[in-house]
Amino acid sequence: MTEHRRIVGDTLLKVENISLGFGGVQALSGISFEIREHEILAIIGPNGAGKTSMLNVINGFYHPQEGAIAFKGEVRRTMRPHRAAKQGIARTFQNVALFKGMSTLDNIMSGRNLRMHRNILWQMLYYGPARNEEMEHRHRVEEIIDFLEIQAIRRTPVGRLPYGLQKRVELARALAMEPELLLLDEPMAGMNVEEKEDMCRFIIDVNEQFGTTIALIEHDMGVVMDISDRVVVLDYGRKLAEGTPDEVRANQDVIDAYLGVPHEEELV
Amino acid sequence: MSDTDTFPKLLLENASRIGNRPGCREKDLGIWQTWTWAQVADEVRALACGLAALGFGRGDKLIIIGDNRPRLYWSMTAAQAIGGVPVPVYQDSAAKEMGFVIDHAEARFALAEDQEQVDKLLEIKGTNQTLESIVYDDARGMRNYDQAFLHDFDKVQEMGRAFDRDNPGFYDDAVAAGKGSDISVMLYTSGTTGNPKGVVLTHTNVMRTAENNEKMEGLKESDEILAYLPMAWVGDHIFSFGQNYTAGFCVNCPESSATVMQDLRDIGPTYFFAPPRIFENILTTVMVRMEDAAPIKRRLFHYFMDVAQRAGTRILDGKPVSSMDRLLYALGNVLVYGPLKNTLGFSRIRLAYTAGEAIGPDIFDFFRALGINLKQLYGMTEASVFITVQPDGQIRPDTVGVPAPEVEVKIADNGEVLFRGPGSFQEYYKSAEATSETKDPEGWVHTGDAGVFTEDGHLKIIDRAKDVGRLNDGTLVAPKYLENKLKFFPNIKEAVAFGHQRDYVAAFINIDLVAMGNWAERHNVAYGGYQELAAYPDVQDIVREHVEQVNRDLASDPQLGGSQIRRFLVLPKELDADDGELTRTRKVRRSFVADRYAELIEALYSDRNTCHVETEVTFEDGRKGMLAADLRILDAKTFPVAEAMREAS
Amino acid sequence: MDGAPVDLLNFVMGVFGGLFLDPVVSMFNRPDKLIQLFTQGLSAGVMYSLIALGFVLIFKASGVFNFAQGIMVVFAGLTVVTLMEAGVPALLAIGGAIVAMIALAFAIERAVLRPLVNQDGIILFMATIGLAFFLEGLGQTIFGADPKPVPVDKLLIPDGKLRLWGDVFPKPVRIYELDLTAAIFGALMVAAILLFLNRTKMGRALRAVADDNQAALSVGISLQTIWVIVWSLAGFVAIFAGIMWGAQSQAGFSLAVLALKALPVLILGGFTSIPGAIAGGLIIGVGEKLGEFYWRGVLGDGVEQWFGYVIALFVLLFRPQGLFGEKIIERV
Repeated sequence: MTEHRRIVGDTLLKVENISLGFGGVQALSGISFEIREHEILAIIGPNGAGKTSMLNVINGFYHPQEGAIAFKGEVRRTMRPHRAAKQGIARTFQNVALFKGMSTLDNIMSGRNLRMHRNILWQMLYYGPARNEEMEHRHRVEEIIDFLEIQAIRRTPVGRLPYGLQKRVELARALAMEPELLLLDEPMAGMNVEEKEDMCRFIIDVNEQFGTTIALIEHDMGVVMDISDRVVVLDYGRKLAEGTPDEVRANQDVIDAYLGVPHEEELV
Repeated sequence: MSDTDTFPKLLLENASRIGNRPGCREKDLGIWQTWTWAQVADEVRALACGLAALGFGRGDKLIIIGDNRPRLYWSMTAAQAIGGVPVPVYQDSAAKEMGFVIDHAEARFALAEDQEQVDKLLEIKGTNQTLESIVYDDARGMRNYDQAFLHDFDKVQEMGRAFDRDNPGFYDDAVAAGKGSDISVMLYTSGTTGNPKGVVLTHTNVMRTAENNEKMEGLKESDEILAYLPMAWVGDHIFSFGQNYTAGFCVNCPESSATVMQDLRDIGPTYFFAPPRIFENILTTVMVRMEDAAPIKRRLFHYFMDVAQRAGTRILDGKPVSSMDRLLYALGNVLVYGPLKNTLGFSRIRLAYTAGEAIGPDIFDFFRALGINLKQLYGMTEASVFITVQPDGQIRPDTVGVPAPEVEVKIADNGEVLFRGPGSFQEYYKSAEATSETKDPEGWVHTGDAGVFTEDGHLKIIDRAKDVGRLNDGTLVAPKYLENKLKFFPNIKEAVAFGHQRDYVAAFINIDLVAMGNWAERHNVAYGGYQELAAYPDVQDIVREHVEQVNRDLASDPQLGGSQIRRFLVLPKELDADDGELTRTRKVRRSFVADRYAELIEALYSDRNTCHVETEVTFEDGRKGMLAADLRILDAKTFPVAEAMREAS
Repeated sequence: MDGAPVDLLNFVMGVFGGLFLDPVVSMFNRPDKLIQLFTQGLSAGVMYSLIALGFVLIFKASGVFNFAQGIMVVFAGLTVVTLMEAGVPALLAIGGAIVAMIALAFAIERAVLRPLVNQDGIILFMATIGLAFFLEGLGQTIFGADPKPVPVDKLLIPDGKLRLWGDVFPKPVRIYELDLTAAIFGALMVAAILLFLNRTKMGRALRAVADDNQAALSVGISLQTIWVIVWSLAGFVAIFAGIMWGAQSQAGFSLAVLALKALPVLILGGFTSIPGAIAGGLIIGVGEKLGEFYWRGVLGDGVEQWFGYVIALFVLLFRPQGLFGEKIIERV
């Protein structure tokens, strides 16, 4: 359906043999796959397959017991989330993690935090270079607001927004970080058809316009098959398959384990 | 003044006379960007030359689709400057309707705001033979479109600047060649039936009407207006384009259609137009917010709104008011009206108009009581808006004022309002027949509305002329007039009145689910949906009270007092555009409703007290279903008519 | 026989008069005294606000109710005084205390907060009790157990009395310059903190952390840095409070109890509301001073000790959500 006009490049992030357990539960066992520059990668699988755990490992919320992650060539096992952010990994959350008491604008501005450098004293006086810097960042943020069409809620405390808009603000905040890798955890969960269409359009636009690499978890198979370049299928913490949407659709293991057996979310 | 007879000429004049004053503004990336008149003139010139370079010539039509954007307004003048005709189209119309207009206007050029509109045009272009070039304003999302006939606005202006350099004198000659009698714009109006008709207006039409009103109301360069209603609508064309040029004030374009209320607050316009629906929404929002406010605040609000109702309107009209009330009103202004107007963005309004349909007296009075000079006017596309306007100090909720300057108005024998004036349209484009039906050889234009003049010369619109009927005893019945009176009650959402060639007037009524739902919640009435609530006896009694109130009001009007509502019923479903009962603009399709519910009408004119009905409904998700119900038919009290009493005494 | 009812009546009348009539009468008779009490109350209130602000910041950013706030005040005050006793100039001594408080913040983050990350609030609270004891012991080792006078003159804090508006009122209003200084500097500090929170990226980060930890992490905000900053801020507040309170009496370990004055302020204003801390502090400060003076007769001495709680409870009766809490709307 979509015409991708960008070139998928080299490996941006490589997950190697990752295993993660909590107490007795093995959330991920020996997972390996890679995310390539400028692509949209979908991670799918039934509930409890370990999809969110995988994202949490990538951006440093969870520390795997085994395996390594190479981001832009730098190999590591564990990382602190704010370091991951500094290196260019942004994310959104399944249940929306926004600063509910702050306005849309402040939420998105917080995504610029890492890129602001003026010292505290200047900032407090809101004067000179700090002021210029703030204006500069504000301009970038306004472009994102325009891009995601959320001008009308600029000053609204995000806690008061409907769910679909909160998801959009969360995406805006992640975009404000100008990430190289964007992790989206069920960006369309709980949305109506129209909101889903908008969100799809935004994701594709982000990918095409800024060249941002995107890894997303999504349950809506229609969406996944439409917008992703490649798909990784997880089931019970193991990787079942990896490939283009067509390949994955044709994979017998996937059909048996996932597509063949009706799951709750497929009924949606 | 006589040599400045077209808008492009007027633009040049403004650029030299008030070149440094703001001509228009737009909120972009959160910041208001301003263009002075001199800058506007430059932009228009570059665009006009660019269009010329693309092959746009004298007599060409330029389709304009999109939200209110400075660049779209500029494109109107640009097209006019080189002898073309702008044809703004409603931006939310479907591709099919848009296609009709493009075909009918034989337009070769279109200017679209963004990708969404370009997509529609591309769809149309598949079947349309004339459309050649499309210019788009916002390049967002257009990166994958590589058709050669698509042009970026900026590129067109660039081409234009080069063209201007290579052809010095071209632009000035083209502008000078324009005449006041040239067509300045074509506005397609969607009739209730059939295809839209292209109303042809000349520069003189628009300019004279704009100027006359500007002088009457004292509009100045320093005024500010917010352009947020569709550009294809004649009102916006006069207020945000015509008067923008003639008065030289600044037009402000909102950031997006969703931010209008916020932008209103930013700008604080001095001149404002809104249809009654918007004033009604604002009032509802205010009331809801007040109900949620702290008790003290609420009490303060209600107390001072009472003061305002008592004194505000009288102060505005320059009538005597007791000094105590004057003092309280001043206090209220500090505590309530001021802050309220400020949050609504109404602080600086000197002149506000409403028109299009009847406005509820409560709504009208609320805003006037706040000290906002809200006035009604009566107008239509074929008149370049102004037919009648309420002069300052002569404001009434139920009339639309006296004839506008230079406009003559008369009532035909069948009750229809006719007018003649400087704004009278030339013709319906390529529809000589329709033109001659509407405009007679002496220049009188048939409005299609029925009206009466009050004793002091104010026009009162009562209904569509074709809908006005007579009871069997000859009494005048204006169904819409009755329906509007009913609909002013918040509990009544929709009403359909009948009476032509009957013995008495009867009505269908839709309750307002929100308002009545609130009532039900307060009175612990459980209900499963509209149908159940509508059938609830207490609800029907409330409706009966409203009907009788309308009858009581009617009784005081000698011309219409005979048309009191004797029987009515509450419909078991809401009239719905999806079922074809309403138009998309939520107007009742009377004949359709009458056909569909013929058995109900018969029951209303029989002596039965119940009636069984079965009908198809469309649910919100598009599914269809059947609905069956037994309805009660209710009787309402009627009252003796005032005139009859006067005659008796 | 009929004496008992009369006695009861007298008693009721007496209490009624003492509670409601007498204070009002004396307020009218001595407006100068009323104003004087009011200003004293405000200046005490500003101090309460500051301390409460310290609590609120730490509570919002790290979910810890910091029991050690009081001892931090003592610690900071004694650092300044001890340094000055050793001949260090006033400004340098304050600078030294700032350095000490920042170091303390780093130490607390490293030794207490980081190991206990993701633990329950109650565990962190217990940890701060431990911290309080540790700091008290450490302090007594370093500074000795005896209270020390604050060299007010060297700190350039005026210590006189102002007599104002003698021609307007029966007696001039007496205002202690010490109170005035505390009020002015306290207000400045509150303003600086608010400015910091609302205008700087650090402030925004701090509010972000207070709102949602995980989300803050994901945009690259380091929790550790934020913790150090809020504890340092609480430390700066403590320096100021240590000096000003010390100047009223002496800088000693008994001052730690004063920090508990912030408790009714927090009850009143809410544990997470910054405007609540400020307004709550002022209300309690003024309320206490008025209560102490006007109701001492009926209610006995020491009104000041518990009057704040009464005010807090009284307000909660009418606004259960606290002064600045969100209105709780229940829908059926």
